[in-house]
Amino acid sequence: MIRMFHVDKNYPNKIQALRDINIHIKKGEFVFLVGATGAGKSTFLKLIYRGIVPTKGQVIVDGINIARLKPGYIPYLRRNIGIVFQDFKLLYDRMVCENISFGLKAVGATNFEIRQQVKKVLNLVGLENKRKIKPHLLSGGEQQKLCIARAIANEPLILLTDEPTGNLDPYTSWEIMKLLFHINIRGTTIIMASHDKLMVDKAKKRVVRLERGRIIEDTQRGIY
Amino acid sequence: MIFENMGFYFREALLSFRRSTLMSIAAILSITTILLIVGFFLLISVNLNLFLENLESQLEIIVYLEDNISQAELSTLTNNLNSITGIKEVKFVSKEEAYQRLSKDLGELKDILSAIEKNPLPASFEIQIKDPKTIEQIANQVTKFIKVEEVEYGREIAERLLNFTYIFRRAGMLILALLVFSSILIISNIIKITVYARRNEIEIMSLVGATSWFVKSPFIIEGFLQGFISSVLSTIILYNFYFFAINKVHQAIPFLPLVVDKVDLLPIGIAIVLLGSLVGVLGSMFSVGKYLNV
Repeated sequence: MIRMFHVDKNYPNKIQALRDINIHIKKGEFVFLVGATGAGKSTFLKLIYRGIVPTKGQVIVDGINIARLKPGYIPYLRRNIGIVFQDFKLLYDRMVCENISFGLKAVGATNFEIRQQVKKVLNLVGLENKRKIKPHLLSGGEQQKLCIARAIANEPLILLTDEPTGNLDPYTSWEIMKLLFHINIRGTTIIMASHDKLMVDKAKKRVVRLERGRIIEDTQRGIY
Repeated sequence: MIFENMGFYFREALLSFRRSTLMSIAAILSITTILLIVGFFLLISVNLNLFLENLESQLEIIVYLEDNISQAELSTLTNNLNSITGIKEVKFVSKEEAYQRLSKDLGELKDILSAIEKNPLPASFEIQIKDPKTIEQIANQVTKFIKVEEVEYGREIAERLLNFTYIFRRAGMLILALLVFSSILIISNIIKITVYARRNEIEIMSLVGATSWFVKSPFIIEGFLQGFISSVLSTIILYNFYFFAINKVHQAIPFLPLVVDKVDLLPIGIAIVLLGSLVGVLGSMFSVGKYLNV
């Protein structure tokens, strides 16, 4: 599903964010990306959704070489990738259901499909009864669930989550994790950047450790 | 895709107006103010131009004729003058008419004319021309005709006047260009601020896989609406203010030439609406583009 070959990423201020990254993530895998702040986790995720291009090397996502992808085709790549952020990035002037529907509208879904899909994902994350309220009235955990609902509404092949439990208490974090496991079981490849030792250890999934832009450890059923 | 979703884009643009009412009103009022200034200057320059044209139209060539001109020669000369391109009107003033004019001009002093036995004034043609710049060329051409004693057109005054109107027009155009340029900058910055307030939305849309046109379209429509509403508003204010003001000016200075026909002012209204709408569209298009690269 995702392959990286000898990938380097340097930023204009000469910071080497990633160095000689080689990795293969298979379809349906759940991968934790761990490492200290500045280790290159976010850069790793950005390369996958083509927020940036590699300075050197190749990044192949679902058979597409993202460095060669023309700007006009980026939206079509992203329709196969759901993204969940630590800071949610929700639209607070719109209702819960509108936060999901506007993303679906953006990818050309019909009104009928949008209604069906919004209902389905809100049920999945347990926010069906809060569909008509504004996100600022939701708790932190609920906002993150909404963010996940929006990311999976389009039924993407890959779900990228950047520290989704970073601001949540352990109980809510585990709720989110269970939701992500559930999504993963349905076939979605998940890459989760995390600092959350407790969750990583408890999950017993593949752990890729980054340090100063390099992969220093890649373990199946690993710990933090 | 663009046209399929037109309804959605319009709905989104109108919803965004509603969601950020204060921001939209502030933007519309600011753009209206800028366009009012541009429109005000346009009105002044149109009137100034009319005033200058009026001044220039008073330039004329007087062709004095020899006393011994025959009727046939006079008729030939009239035909010759009329055949010159660039001439608006040719008026013949006979010796008698010239004498009467002088007598009228002298008023109470007209008695001094009785001391003169014979009418000393020559017959003449008063020529009005279409383009004041051609005055010298036409005057030179007329000088060559037979039975023409002298041609007078106030060369120095004409040159000075033409220089004056030329400088005035150029200065006006320069100021107008600067004003339009700065208004474009200010309006696009106002639009940029409204787009900046919604950069999150643009980023999210881009991340969920919306095409750039899908993201841009509602913003472009919103920018157009902001520009259009502002320009229509400023045109209405400007026209009302203008006709109120010229009424007052006419009462105070009745002979001052002013543009009073609404049709003559139509191009100004159209220019303001076009300027507002176009800058609204382009400003939002470029501003959204800036936040699309995520």
